[in-house]
Amino acid sequence: MASHEPPRPGARPPDAEPLPEGESRLDFSRRNFLKTVGVGPLAASVVAARTADAQAVANPVGPAAVPIELTINGHRHALSVEPRVTLLDAIRDRLDLTGQKRVCDRGACGACTMLVDGRTIYACSMLAIEAQGADIRTVEGLTNGTVLHPVQEAFCEHDGLMCGFCTPGFVMATVALLEANPTPTADEARRALDGNICRCGTYKGVLEAALTAKGVRRG
Amino acid sequence: MADDMGQVPEVQAPATASGSKYAWPAERRVLGTEVRRVDGPAKARGAAKYTYDINRPGLLHGLILRSPHAHARVRSIDLSAAAAAPGVRATLVIAEPGAKVMYQGDEVAALAATSEDTARDALRAIKVDYEVLPHLATVEQAMRPEAPVVFEGGNTRTSDVQEEGDLEAGFAAATHVVEGLYSTQVQTHVCLETHGCVCEWDGDRLTAWVSTQAVHGTREGFAQSLGIPQSNVRVICEYMGGGFGSKFGPDAQGLACARLAKAANAPVKLMLDRKDEHLAGGNRPSAYARIRAGAAADGALTAFDAQTWGTGGAGQGAGFPLPYIYVFPNRRVVHTDVYTNAGPQRAMRAPGHPQGCFITEVLMDEIADRVRMDPVAFRLKNLPAEAPNAMWRRYFEMAAAQFGWSRRHATGDVTPGPIKRGFGCAANRWGGGGRGTRAQCEILPDGSVVMRSGTQDLGVGTKTLMAIITAETLGLPVDAVRVELGDSNYPFSGGSGGSTTAPSVSPAIRVTASKALEALAARIAPGLGVAPESIVARDGRVRSTASPSTSLTWREACQRLGTEPVSVDGEWEAGLSASGTSGVQMAEVEVDIETGITRVTRVLCVQDCGLIVNRMAAESQCLGGIIGGIGFALFEHRLLDPNTAQMVNPNMEWYLVPGLSDIPDIQVTLVDQPGRGVIGIGEPPAISTAAAVANAVANAIGARVRSLPITPDRVLAALRTDRAGGTE
Repeated sequence: MASHEPPRPGARPPDAEPLPEGESRLDFSRRNFLKTVGVGPLAASVVAARTADAQAVANPVGPAAVPIELTINGHRHALSVEPRVTLLDAIRDRLDLTGQKRVCDRGACGACTMLVDGRTIYACSMLAIEAQGADIRTVEGLTNGTVLHPVQEAFCEHDGLMCGFCTPGFVMATVALLEANPTPTADEARRALDGNICRCGTYKGVLEAALTAKGVRRG
Repeated sequence: MADDMGQVPEVQAPATASGSKYAWPAERRVLGTEVRRVDGPAKARGAAKYTYDINRPGLLHGLILRSPHAHARVRSIDLSAAAAAPGVRATLVIAEPGAKVMYQGDEVAALAATSEDTARDALRAIKVDYEVLPHLATVEQAMRPEAPVVFEGGNTRTSDVQEEGDLEAGFAAATHVVEGLYSTQVQTHVCLETHGCVCEWDGDRLTAWVSTQAVHGTREGFAQSLGIPQSNVRVICEYMGGGFGSKFGPDAQGLACARLAKAANAPVKLMLDRKDEHLAGGNRPSAYARIRAGAAADGALTAFDAQTWGTGGAGQGAGFPLPYIYVFPNRRVVHTDVYTNAGPQRAMRAPGHPQGCFITEVLMDEIADRVRMDPVAFRLKNLPAEAPNAMWRRYFEMAAAQFGWSRRHATGDVTPGPIKRGFGCAANRWGGGGRGTRAQCEILPDGSVVMRSGTQDLGVGTKTLMAIITAETLGLPVDAVRVELGDSNYPFSGGSGGSTTAPSVSPAIRVTASKALEALAARIAPGLGVAPESIVARDGRVRSTASPSTSLTWREACQRLGTEPVSVDGEWEAGLSASGTSGVQMAEVEVDIETGITRVTRVLCVQDCGLIVNRMAAESQCLGGIIGGIGFALFEHRLLDPNTAQMVNPNMEWYLVPGLSDIPDIQVTLVDQPGRGVIGIGEPPAISTAAAVANAVANAIGARVRSLPITPDRVLAALRTDRAGGTE
């Protein structure tokens, strides 16, 4: 995100269609909003959260843990989370699916990128309760046994990973790109992957992987 | 890194490796080729478990309360409400009443609770009464004569004068004298995996999963600070999400985590959040230099006189090598460390060198312009003598040819339109070298091979390097070797910093694998009726050079071990690795003189690698260093509010690091010098990119930006100050 543009609140591909009416919460959660405008993460979010909740949700839930069901990689998981728990934390801490990483925790780096109903989202900036009923995909769902997904294979082949901490996020963003556009140009790939940050500097390999991964079908 | 002052010890080890019984093979099969990372699939699948990913039964979450003030004394601290909050299992005071906090983010207290959210709730219930004290946010504030004395012994510490030659005579011999003030900013590491650990006690024995560059050093740190035997501590770090020099011990958060886990009698995970990471996880100190330098009419450097200073934050030094590489026969440097109320510095990829390189190389271009010499020709005239670890002359010529340097225009692009293009160059050097790693190799009767060492893989490819060397030595494919590292229960290896890992680990693996093969030969030779010395392993087979008919598959040979495996220990030996490396980089930029925005369009890197172990990983190290250098050149800047000393951008949307659209075309030329043995190259490619970019910007716009990062406002300011449009 070193380009001189303001951060985007959600990490949707640039060519994504507008969401249908009534689904805007997916893209513009209260947590996302608070973080984007830069409200301090501690006291302010508690005070502000209640107000936002009352406005955004017709039937407030919580603040105690509530039972929810998430469909992740085709499997249903019942869990109990406080409404304030993000999708990322719910999946990482409660379900021990730790492929997607927590890095910036405020929608700026893409390490937690998941696919929700086919769209890339920053899972640190979406609440778990918002994701009920959605088709959630994480990096763990790409692999069939030990055979790598073509995108994962391409990342290994082109050394698009070093420490590997950003890799699952990049892999998911690349999968989303290629499912929508199997033959992107370099510029299209750059734009689609610009919401992800790598600190080791593997971008050259990442781009080569995105441009050469073959056989990615629409999921 | 080797030392925490940012001062790099000069090359001591031999620059050429020789004399080992286990010399690298003349004919290399795997070494020097492109080998995929052995842990790539685990990382790409999300199956690799980093410290952040460790979930243990009954795991508690720890958090640290940090000072909101840049300088304060704790009058009182009350954790009773926090301790009574729902879900809280343990609390800990770090700054006792009377103690001072020296920067925003300094540790005050900690607690552990059943979830991170409940821990965060409870943290807000801790009551701290601070006596707020005067603070120093900037070097300018700290250096004012009337500044309050914030640090014991003074806010500044000036070193002895470093002087060589006759400065007066040097300036008398100078036809051209250039004066300038140069500076670089504070940069933070931004490891994607923040600092932190998971601690679990079993009685008086501690197991700690730590994101660390030194599993053994961290074991020592825990034992010493907790007052328990080192043998009671096990530190594990199989995967880590970057360190860049900032992760060498348990740190305050590790010790707090261990104490909370002990008090709660449950495992505790304590990872820093992104803000804490910026504030307390370390940084590269700033650097300032006011320089007067002279050159004779023929371009020979004659004199260099510099006052330098910088801040490494609260009580930390900020040294850097100056002048860098080029020979100024008469020179004087006086350095002052300036202390400010900001998070302390830690070693960061090539500590000191990017600062010293930027300052010297920008000055070099300014002098070259005054002498009216091409920057490369001017550098060639003033380089030190050539040596295996000092090959800049040759590398400048190689780089110039590959880059098309002859197409460089004089300073100031006179092309019409707002986009100006320019070329710049800069050199780097690094010491590196290594010693002291131990390893263990097992050859099992079913033919499987395990190589173990208590080193760690920061993401650079150490695991793959170990597999390659083992495979090369045993005549096996890389995937036939299982590598285990990142555990203090494995044989000792030092911390991974200062580009010392490859040159300390590689020889140990070569020696240990060779000894394992010797042991295998000794065990099976009698049954084969051949002398053990005649046995060689190659292409997956074990043969006797004395008896052409004796040829077994690797597995058949190993089956002859019966039930008892081969298990051999080995260690680093001299003669397989070396220290000292040199490199050159060139950059091309486009600068929009209407907006001030700089884009790097091309970087070329010529880097001495000694004996290349894994060409793919070595190239990735260079790419990574260059991309880090682009961030240092154009974007990264830890901004403190000068009134409050609070960090303005402790996140990843306003602390900018390069993204995919910022990446230029990068060409890497690795110079394979197998005779030198293995050399680490983590640091050197990160050193010279910012300097090359800065010189390219000046070449483009005809005005000098003498401060990093080269932000649009600085470009526009330089254009207003200097004459735009060319000096020729």
